[in-house]
Order: sequence, then C-alpha cells, then structure tokens
Amino acid sequence: MAKGNGQETIIALGVRVEGDFVSEGDVVIEGDVNGNIQTASDLRIGEQAKIKADILAQNAVIAGEVRGNVTIAGKLELSPSARIIGDISVDVLSVLSGAQINGKVTMDGSEVKIPKGKPGKDIETEE
Amino acid sequence: MYYYVYDEFVQDAKYERELANIETRLTDLGISGKIARLALFRDASELIRDASLKGAKTIIAVGNDLTLRKVIDAAADHRSVLGIIPLGKDGNFIASMLGIPNGVAACDVISARMVEAIDTGVINGHRFINSCMIDNGAGMEIDCGRKFKVFPVKKCSIEIRNLAIEDETVPAANPADGKIELVIRTVNRSLFSRKKVKSTVVPVKELTMSGENTVRIRVDGEQFEGKEFRISVLASHLKLIIGKERKF
Repeated sequence: MAKGNGQETIIALGVRVEGDFVSEGDVVIEGDVNGNIQTASDLRIGEQAKIKADILAQNAVIAGEVRGNVTIAGKLELSPSARIIGDISVDVLSVLSGAQINGKVTMDGSEVKIPKGKPGKDIETEE
Repeated sequence: MYYYVYDEFVQDAKYERELANIETRLTDLGISGKIARLALFRDASELIRDASLKGAKTIIAVGNDLTLRKVIDAAADHRSVLGIIPLGKDGNFIASMLGIPNGVAACDVISARMVEAIDTGVINGHRFINSCMIDNGAGMEIDCGRKFKVFPVKKCSIEIRNLAIEDETVPAANPADGKIELVIRTVNRSLFSRKKVKSTVVPVKELTMSGENTVRIRVDGEQFEGKEFRISVLASHLKLIIGKERKF
C-alpha cells in the first residue's frame, strides 16, 4: 500500500476500539473495532481482526471479518481469509479464492469523498 | 542571562570536582550566571519565578531527567529557554535524546545555543518531555479525545510517548508533530510458546486513562499513583537547547 501523509495507526491483537475512529494516516488493524473506521489513507485489516463497523478508506486490504458497509475510494483487496457481511462500494476490486462477500457490491465509478477529521457517517458519493 | 539550577544530588562531594570544571568552562565560554541550589524545602518553581522577574531568559538544569522535571513547569510558564547539563551515570535519557553529552562537554553545547521548540506532554496539569508509562494497564479504559475508546483486553503495558527512540515494534516518537502517541504493548504467545510483543500505536492530541484500581505511572522517571490521568499535548510549547547529536 502507498504510504500516507499522516502517522500510521496500529491496533494490535489484544486491544478493542469502540467509537468513531478517524485517521489521516495509514491504519493497520489486528484487534477488534466496534463503531466507524475512516482514513484518508490506506487500511489493512489482519486475519484475526474482528470489525463491526462501517469502513471508509482510500485503499484497503482485508483479511479478517468485517460486519458493516465498506466504502473504498480506490482499490480493495480481499484475501482468502476475508469475510465481509455488508455492502461494498469500490472502484477497483480484487477477490482472492476463498474470500466471502455477503452483501451487495457496487462498482459504478462514483467518486468517493473522504472528509478530513469527521466520522464515517459523513460519507459522500458523487456520480 | 543564564540561571543554573543545581539539583540536590549534584551537591554531593563526588561531583565537586566536575562541578568546578563545569563552572570554569562556563566562565571561559562567557555564559556563567547565577546559581541556585535545590534543597529539601527549596522549591524550583519559586526560584525560577524570582530569577525570571530579574531577567533570566535561559534556565539550565544541572542534574538528570528528574531535575528537568523539577524545573520544566516554571521554565515553560515564564517562556524561558531550557537546557540541561547532565551529571551522573543514570537517569539521563532525555539529555541523550537531546544530543547533550554528560558533564563538562555539555557546556559547549549550551554555549552553541541551538534552540528548538518542541511539543510538551501534560499529565494532570504537569508537563513532561519524554513519556508516561504504566507497567500493567490491563482493565484500563482510554478515552481518545471523546471520539473513540481503547480497551486493552489482556495484560499489557501502556506508554504515552512524546519524545522517544524507536524499539523493536514501535517507531521513534517525533516531539514536533503536535501529537502524543498511545502505545500499548501486549505479549502474545505463538506456536511453540514463543513470546511475541505486539504494539498498538495511536497518535492522539488528548486522552484520558482511567481504571477501577489505583495504578502506578512513571512520568519522565518519576513515579505517581492514581486512578485517572488526563493527558494532552502542547504543540511547540517548550524552547529547549539541543545538540547536533540529537536523536529526533
């Protein structure tokens, strides 16, 4: 993944995060998150991560379990261990054999704006 | 005008010769100044306040990290430039981070007067430069700017870093980015029971740590106890004299 402008945030295994998690740098999640996740950079969700949150990011690689809607402005890569329960909106999608998607996938080329410093509910899409 | 604050321990006979050398070197460099000697009932804040009123613009702590802790609040309150002449073998982590050598060699760095404004952490109203550390932070609740909460769910250490070097799992903390770093280190056992430290790193501007039980926290080497700690950062708040060998 490309390196973001802000600092990298890492949520390791053994740590739980609750609430609206907003970052301007890259985010790596190996632990549990409940709420919303938003980053203006790239997001990596590890194999053992359990996410109950709507996600908004520039690019993402998901290998863990996500319960919530995933909105990605650029490219989304789903690893074989990925399990998504929710809708996906993305520009470019890569799904490896074994990944599960239980939801609607939209790839209509709409531009996703990631607001700076505001929680995920402010997601905007433009035709 | 320079104002030198000697910590209590440097007044021990074993530092007598080194202090004499330091004073001679400071005179040679033309930066000698008034000297205050800390003692049991002599408060550094009052000494620095009086010195500032008399025109002292630069406060130099002579001692170690704990000496800096004694003078940092007063020096920052009076917008003074703060420097350190480290003495003794232990407890000089901050001086080494700032690139200031031990003993008489520090005088030349002070004389060169490279000043940089760095961020200062604040814990329960008191400033710190380096970090705050809780050895066992399991069960603590960490509220990050009232936006999200972080819960360590297993045994871990919690560190709030402002100025710190990199270690195996965490990069160096930059004291000029306007943020402090919440670092939670958990030990996970992999196959064959090998211990592996995993670190959570969250850059924030303010946080509140609280728990049901009283915990011990080390702030720049000084220990406190408490149940709730409010921690924030003051961006580019403290003017510090640094050396060329600084590590940030």
